[in-house]
Amino acid sequence: MSCQGLGDCDDARMQRIYEYLDGALTREDIAEIKTHLDECPECTEQYDLECVIRTVVKRSCTEAAPENLKNSILDRIHSMNSVDA
Amino acid sequence: MDSRRVTVDLDAMSTMDPAAAAMYEAATEVTDTTSGGDANVGADVEVAVDFAHETPEQRRARFERDAMQYVDQLYSAAMRMARNPSDAEDLVQEAYTKAFSAFHQYKPGTNLKAWLYRILTNTYINLYRKRQREPLQSNSDSIEDWQLARAESHTSAGLRSAEAEALDHLPDSDVKSALQSIPEEFRLAVYFADVEGFAYKEISDIMNTPIGTVMSRLHRGRKMLRDLLADYAAERGISAGAEEKALAVGAATSKKQEKRK
Repeated sequence: MSCQGLGDCDDARMQRIYEYLDGALTREDIAEIKTHLDECPECTEQYDLECVIRTVVKRSCTEAAPENLKNSILDRIHSMNSVDA
Repeated sequence: MDSRRVTVDLDAMSTMDPAAAAMYEAATEVTDTTSGGDANVGADVEVAVDFAHETPEQRRARFERDAMQYVDQLYSAAMRMARNPSDAEDLVQEAYTKAFSAFHQYKPGTNLKAWLYRILTNTYINLYRKRQREPLQSNSDSIEDWQLARAESHTSAGLRSAEAEALDHLPDSDVKSALQSIPEEFRLAVYFADVEGFAYKEISDIMNTPIGTVMSRLHRGRKMLRDLLADYAAERGISAGAEEKALAVGAATSKKQEKRK
């Protein structure tokens, strides 16, 4: 079985890494994980992979809307009356 | 309990007129639940403006100034929902129309981007998916099957470090189709978190789902994505293990032998 520094199974470890990257942890937890990552190549590898995946997904899924979309939205909005409460 | 709540919500929404449903959603929940933690929404901090007494023209101007900056981002998200650019465009346009109609209900100072995403997501669920006549409830059974299949074929602990390099070189098309093949509720959760950087609470507002459900969708969705990306990398031979190469060679050899016969 792999390193248990971040959790007692792979799922638990990944969950910790996700929360760490998601900014969902307390300061103490963050410090603890940082310290562990500094000394554990195995968990660092998992952490790195997750970072790469996020970077790649971000890169691949960022698309510019077609030129005319913004204009057609504006046209439509201008033809509408804003609803009053 | 979590998943049952989602089912009920989706079903309830699906029986309403789509426009009415989105309006209802926007009116009753969005303004109350979005958090104001997004630094991008700095423009909304002009509390001095008297929003209650602004003219329709002023409101329109405020909408254009504050909301229109997210068109590209909403379009990217819509591309993860709809299957093609034309439907994604329709979806974004429809969402913006609804958002504008409901803009007097948006609470200035709260997270506008999350509010817009919420409307986009509802629009998709109510309008687009209905048109597609897809079942509203996710097919949990097939997800389980799919996961079982994955579990069997992936016995190793995960990817090797060399594969980080390999993943980094995957073409955009591979990454998109990997994401696209993940069941929808997982895909959207992963997209909202990993691409848009929304917090769990914000995703829970956008998807109208408890935070615990968001977290488990993220966990499972990320795992699926990771496995799929590893498969793509392997298919491209970037990180093909010795075994796979041997198999490929073996297959080629036996074909040749067959031809000879």
